[in-house]
Amino acid sequence: MKTVKKNTSSSIPEGFLQEIHKIVGKNGVITNLSDMAPYLEETRGIFVGSSPAIIRPKDTLQVSKIVAMCFKENIGIVPQGGNTGLCGGSVASGELIVNLERMNEIRSIDAINYTITVDAGCILSDLQKISEENDRFFPLSLGAEGSCQIGGNLSTNAGGTSVLRYGNARELTLGLEVVLSDGRIWNGLTGLRKDNTGYDLKQLFIGAEGTLGIITGAVLKLFPLPLERQTVFVANKDLKSILKLLSLARNCSGDTVSAFEFIPRIGIDLSLKHIPETVDPLKDKHEWYTLIEFESGSSESGLDTIMEMFLNEALINNLIIDGVIAQSEEQRHKLWFIREAMVLAQKPEGASIKNDISVPISKIPEFILRADKAVKKICPGIRPIAFGHIGDGNVHYNLQQPLDLEEESFMSLREALNRLIMDIVQSLGGSFSAEHGIGILKVPQMISYKTKIELELMKLVKDTLDPNNILNPGKIL
Amino acid sequence: MKVLVPIKRVIDYNVKVRVKADKTGVEIANVKMSMNPFDEISVEEAVRLKEAGKAEEIIAVSIGVQQCQETIRTALAMGADRGIHIKTDEDIEPLAVAKLLRALVEKESPELVILGKQAIDDDSNQTGQKLAALLGWAQGTFASKIDIQNGKAEITREVDSGLEIIEVNLPAIVTVDLRLNEPRYASLPNIMKAKKKPIDEFSIAELGIDAAPRLEILSVEAPKQREAGVMVDSVASLVDKLKNEARVI
Ligand SMILES: Cc1cc2nc3c(=O)[nH]c(=O)nc-3n(C[C@H](O)[C@H](O)[C@H](O)COP(=O)(O)OP(=O)(O)OC[C@H]3O[C@@H](n4cnc5c(N)ncnc54)[C@H](O)[C@@H]3O)c2cc1C
Ligand SMILES: Cc1cc2nc3c(=O)[nH]c(=O)nc-3n(C[C@H](O)[C@H](O)[C@H](O)COP(=O)(O)OP(=O)(O)OC[C@H]3O[C@@H](n4cnc5c(N)ncnc54)[C@H](O)[C@@H]3O)c2cc1C
Repeated sequence: MKTVKKNTSSSIPEGFLQEIHKIVGKNGVITNLSDMAPYLEETRGIFVGSSPAIIRPKDTLQVSKIVAMCFKENIGIVPQGGNTGLCGGSVASGELIVNLERMNEIRSIDAINYTITVDAGCILSDLQKISEENDRFFPLSLGAEGSCQIGGNLSTNAGGTSVLRYGNARELTLGLEVVLSDGRIWNGLTGLRKDNTGYDLKQLFIGAEGTLGIITGAVLKLFPLPLERQTVFVANKDLKSILKLLSLARNCSGDTVSAFEFIPRIGIDLSLKHIPETVDPLKDKHEWYTLIEFESGSSESGLDTIMEMFLNEALINNLIIDGVIAQSEEQRHKLWFIREAMVLAQKPEGASIKNDISVPISKIPEFILRADKAVKKICPGIRPIAFGHIGDGNVHYNLQQPLDLEEESFMSLREALNRLIMDIVQSLGGSFSAEHGIGILKVPQMISYKTKIELELMKLVKDTLDPNNILNPGKIL
Repeated sequence: MKVLVPIKRVIDYNVKVRVKADKTGVEIANVKMSMNPFDEISVEEAVRLKEAGKAEEIIAVSIGVQQCQETIRTALAMGADRGIHIKTDEDIEPLAVAKLLRALVEKESPELVILGKQAIDDDSNQTGQKLAALLGWAQGTFASKIDIQNGKAEITREVDSGLEIIEVNLPAIVTVDLRLNEPRYASLPNIMKAKKKPIDEFSIAELGIDAAPRLEILSVEAPKQREAGVMVDSVASLVDKLKNEARVI
């Protein structure tokens, strides 16, 4: 485990926390070590955080006052949401943690404008639920949705399972409210779909991982509630036929494909081995599988007919070998569970090196072929588990340790393996971090794979918006 | 042996049911409908009997609106051989359903009728029993295991005190419980094949049954909302609340 390198900001002066206490009230500050633990631990256990206190403001004004005090005293802050990020972005190394969990009000919902205005600390699944109760749909959906906050989703520009149809967090955002590094509040909470009045400032804060400001509120896009869904789980002989299947699905459904996920056989095997209640829905074993979902806002749209036409066409053209169609919501949940179980099953199977890369969709087969070959060369017996949002060109190219190798020796190859993979990604015009961001984990890759001019521009933005480097120091750059 | 499997199209188990504003029923417009989960289990059991060589033909029957044919197609994709759709837009009560099924039993002469123990929309738990009474057949309800040998069915029933094993002579009525089996997925090739399987259509009048309702629904109400819990700050205040507010101690 790594401890994060110390930031340059000052240590906390006498009486500072007492002042903060006055701002946020009795339950607003946590300094007790055992109560702090969940805010310091990190999802993957790669980093260990440390912090003098967890501050939990209740509203934007409190955030503003806290940040203003930190600005004055030059004290570092780590903005934190649900602490589910996968790159260590919310890990503190001596900075104060400002967690927005107590800012969880839905400020308003405008069904006619198809927008919802929320506090940044709202839990993603709560937001989905409230939208649905208002006969609207908020499409962002990912494995951590029961604990991640919308502020964290925006700060990491989260993707998830419905990007293909609805875009990632950035594309779902219309307005933001942000506390700047000196404590000023920028209220950009517009629900406008058209607003060409100068620079689009919100874009700077989306995906900035808390390094440019603290997002305290947001206006998000809503959509008509999908009333019909068709979910299929099919077996494919190779990746090329999966890509053809994707085109076919988009073309013959009028582009109503909302999810298109691919799963390798080893993923199913590991799930069956480690995760209770997983079932293989098909009789025979196959090399690859895809989980496809179509969506329609009407229950009388003939989606079932469209889907069957699609499947028929796919069968005739040998793009699928076998498959099942969910006949009820229960079966739909079970099919999605296979996709989720596969992620969980990697842990009990030993050490695993995770990657989150993207390449142009058309290059995915080439990427996997070349990467498999390269990693097997320096680590015989290694078990690549390539899965993910193939419809977005996003592959989680995870590497499971060989059965006959010690965990430690395997992990010592981590950097070499990642280097090989990232070089292939780079040569195919891809990205070394598709949806999880940079945090601390991928800072070295920024230096290797971003151009000098990109890094200079980013530095310029950072210096302008956070001249004292108090906001999430050491992250991204 | 022919097996008749009645299946009901109901609001999907995972849908949050909403009461209509005028309290005459629940909202079904734009709501996902699926096969009653107990009926999926009946279909699965019938298909397993066929796979074991104990049944020759499986007939899936559904009574209701036009879209019931989709539900029948699901049963056909799971392995039923043909379908019968008794078409009506009215709500049919269990007794009328039983009478309609009796009419089909007389037409088709199955030796076994496998039903769900109840439908999850009305929770009546009546149809199988009523059908057995109308036909004068033996019945084995709440089956968690069915073993067919030599013209008899050994049925393991889930009862309050545990498991009860009974033997009935065929022809018989069996209603199934949740633990009987795990229904299979409808596979693509089978879904395609199911499209070619026949579905016969009847109207209630053609079967000569009086299906008029005998019950009048006065009002449908949503369950009372549960009040939010409270955190108590001490054992003393918990005891106080249990004594004076909840009055349970
Ligand atoms: C009949 C008509 C209908 C229109 N309908 C619409 C409409 O429905 N929706 C709508 O949004 N707009 C509409 N417009 C306006 C619209 O903004 C422009 O037509 C178009 O987007 C501008 O493109 P242009 O190449 O003409 O740019 P110009 O008019 O040449 O330039 C527009 C601005 O962009 C800058 N610019 C141009 N090229 C570059 C470049 N390569 N790099 C950096 N800066 C550059 C210019 O300096 C200037 O500030 C309409 C205009 C007309 C005449
Ligand atoms: C099981 C699981 C599945 C996942 N699946 C996906 C997936 O499919 N797609 C995907 O994109 N990601 C996925 N993730 C990672 C995802 O990025 C995070 O779950 C989520 O978006 C982060 O939200 P959070 O509230 O937990 O943020 P945190 O982890 O608390 O923070 C993430 C970053 O945002 C900053 N931040 C948080 N809140 C604010 C704020 N209000 N203002 C400014 N900065 C802030 C933090 O400083 C940090 O840099 C997954 C994670 C897990 C554990």
